[in-house]
Amino acid sequence: MSAAISVKRSSAWVLAVVLAVAARTASASPEEAKQWLERMSESLATRNYIGLFTHSTPTQSESMRIVHRVEDGHSLERLVSLDGSGREIIRTREEVHAYLPDRRVVLVEPRSDDGSLLKALPTPGAKLDTFYDLEVRKGSKLLGRDVQVVDIRPRDRYRYGYRIWLDEKTAMPLRSIVANGAGVPVEQISFTSLELQKKIPDKDVEPSVDATGFQWIRTGRKLGPPPQPMANANGWRPLRLPPGFRLVASRFQLLPGSPVPAQHLIFSDGMAAISVFIEPGHASGPAPPESSSMGSANAYSTSIQGHVITAVGEVPADTIREVAISVAPVDAPGAPSASGAPDR
Amino acid sequence: MKPHEPVDDETRPSAGVEQSDLELVKRAQRGERGAFDLLVLRYQHKVVKLVARLLRDPAEAEDVAQEAFVKAYRALGSFRGDSAFYTWLYRIAVNTARNSIASRQRRPLDYEADLSENEQSAVESRMRHTDTPEANVLSEEIHRTVNRAVEELPEDLRTAIILREVEGLSYEEIAQAMDCPVGTVRSRIFRAREAIDRNLKPLLD
Amino acid sequence: MTDQIREQVSALLDGELPRDEIGLLVRRMERDPDLRGSFGRYSLIGETLRAPGGRTAHPSFAARVSAAIDAPGEAAAAQDVPAIAASHAFWKRPAFATAVAASFALLAVILVRPFASEDAAIVVANTAATLTVSPLAGAISPTPAQSQRLAGYLVAHSQFSSPMARRSVWSGLLAADPGLQRASYEIQEAP
Repeated sequence: MSAAISVKRSSAWVLAVVLAVAARTASASPEEAKQWLERMSESLATRNYIGLFTHSTPTQSESMRIVHRVEDGHSLERLVSLDGSGREIIRTREEVHAYLPDRRVVLVEPRSDDGSLLKALPTPGAKLDTFYDLEVRKGSKLLGRDVQVVDIRPRDRYRYGYRIWLDEKTAMPLRSIVANGAGVPVEQISFTSLELQKKIPDKDVEPSVDATGFQWIRTGRKLGPPPQPMANANGWRPLRLPPGFRLVASRFQLLPGSPVPAQHLIFSDGMAAISVFIEPGHASGPAPPESSSMGSANAYSTSIQGHVITAVGEVPADTIREVAISVAPVDAPGAPSASGAPDR
Repeated sequence: MKPHEPVDDETRPSAGVEQSDLELVKRAQRGERGAFDLLVLRYQHKVVKLVARLLRDPAEAEDVAQEAFVKAYRALGSFRGDSAFYTWLYRIAVNTARNSIASRQRRPLDYEADLSENEQSAVESRMRHTDTPEANVLSEEIHRTVNRAVEELPEDLRTAIILREVEGLSYEEIAQAMDCPVGTVRSRIFRAREAIDRNLKPLLD
Repeated sequence: MTDQIREQVSALLDGELPRDEIGLLVRRMERDPDLRGSFGRYSLIGETLRAPGGRTAHPSFAARVSAAIDAPGEAAAAQDVPAIAASHAFWKRPAFATAVAASFALLAVILVRPFASEDAAIVVANTAATLTVSPLAGAISPTPAQSQRLAGYLVAHSQFSSPMARRSVWSGLLAADPGLQRASYEIQEAP
């Protein structure tokens, strides 16, 4: 196992951002930036690669190893923590396995999603430059490679900004920063090595943890009796969303700890995604609102008319909260399926 | 490496479905065409979706999917039941799609050429998707209609159909989860389907 | 009466029709296009719920397959029938985050962090705003049960994030938080 990596300080990133700004030269059109982002998405999805990166947030920093292999139209992925815990997550074709050697546990989860939500995913959308300023310019070399730096700056305070360093030859992202409206980074992923490979040997997508004697726990479908039936089943929608967020997918699924399927709505502005979950409330009554964050993802959960409403997304916490508390039942016929900016 | 198994958006067929597939295959092998037609009806969307993802040109998906089903029919005699029927069908579909791609290429891809062809086709395929073919419009309409109809279902019907279709539970498992008899589960799922179908049928006729 | 038969069709789709009833129903369906239509649409409903937005077969697809089978043609080419080992993938359509909704319930207990105070520093825009932006008060430490639920939401959401955002959610889930490692909790023993 690799040695633990020291925690980066906040100031180091601010410095990095400042330096990058200072190194600015003439930039190219938004169209070109968009094309770079499309190339990046394509690369991430279709290439076989192995890399080492650090993932940093204000409170800490982890080193990770990632392996990505594409086979017959779908991808296998393995993420390994290098900070001493030896944890890893492997997504095989049918399941996700989370190996926790420090707990001597393997969590197994069947895949409950589908790959055909391809269209629904927030690929850099055609209208991206309506809500973000896009720029691309040549940057200084990273990992010995020529890079282009793509800046995605939000035009309002409801979303985050991004700076992505792309390998000129393959459009693979070598480094990315997510920053809030004031330019303060909330998360960074930075590769220390990245190799594209024609073939990835099986051993690289298999766990390096010896799980003999571990406890295998299948999470998923522990179901209890359903809670009180709801009086109505009207569609629920957030009435307020930042401009440009459109409904891109919706589905029902069973979430852990709940016997009744939740409705899951996904909104996107072409860059960031916001999920809204609508579930029946608990028989024991409404819980107080909760907010949480993990890196650039924020979540807010609250109770509305006997339902539990949770919003999650890669947008600032205040945005997520406003979206969550605006969710309301909408009369079925002719209801808008997406809310743009209602009062603009 | 393990043999190919259906993956991604294909939830594993439940034991019940696998059994009934085997029964249908046996009948089809004995000459009952109706039994094979039901297998087509059951898996047509999965196969079209799978093939559409593998082809350079998704517009050909239905032609290639059709070819896969015809091949499966003609090869039915060689299906022994060692694997689930859908696993077998999946492999036929993947091979048919691959062969249809290979037949269009003049030389085998090497790594470097792969890159530039990928990039070129990426631009091409994006341009094709800016105009929405009829099939995509219909798909979206279907999706909207089905979801709206599910939202409006009474909760017991909605829970039953979601547990069956999304979570892949058997009737027995759903009966335990919902604390009701299996017969009630079967009836709820049926009534849920009928309620949704009332909105769906006019769209497709 | 017809409802009873349709209910059998529904059960057949789920593989829950008793074997001895299958034969009769198959023959009925051979004669009755309405029943076949129902079977096909029930199957479509399932596909739509599992995979909203994906390609689906055109309504006439099954009939075209049937016609193609009846048409005179060559025998199946042997190479298309399995089993054939994988060669390297040719993949055109981007498989964006064929990702996962995995609820790492136990992981969640130790991995979800309280609300980060950095975001409270967001400067309020002074132009007319659709949303009121006000800083949230304080940090809330989630209880283990809350963390579990939250991880479920985060991971379900991460399917729809960009590949990079998904990577960061997973990285967060994998990171060991030194402070919380000392928290004790029970792992259910498998029976």
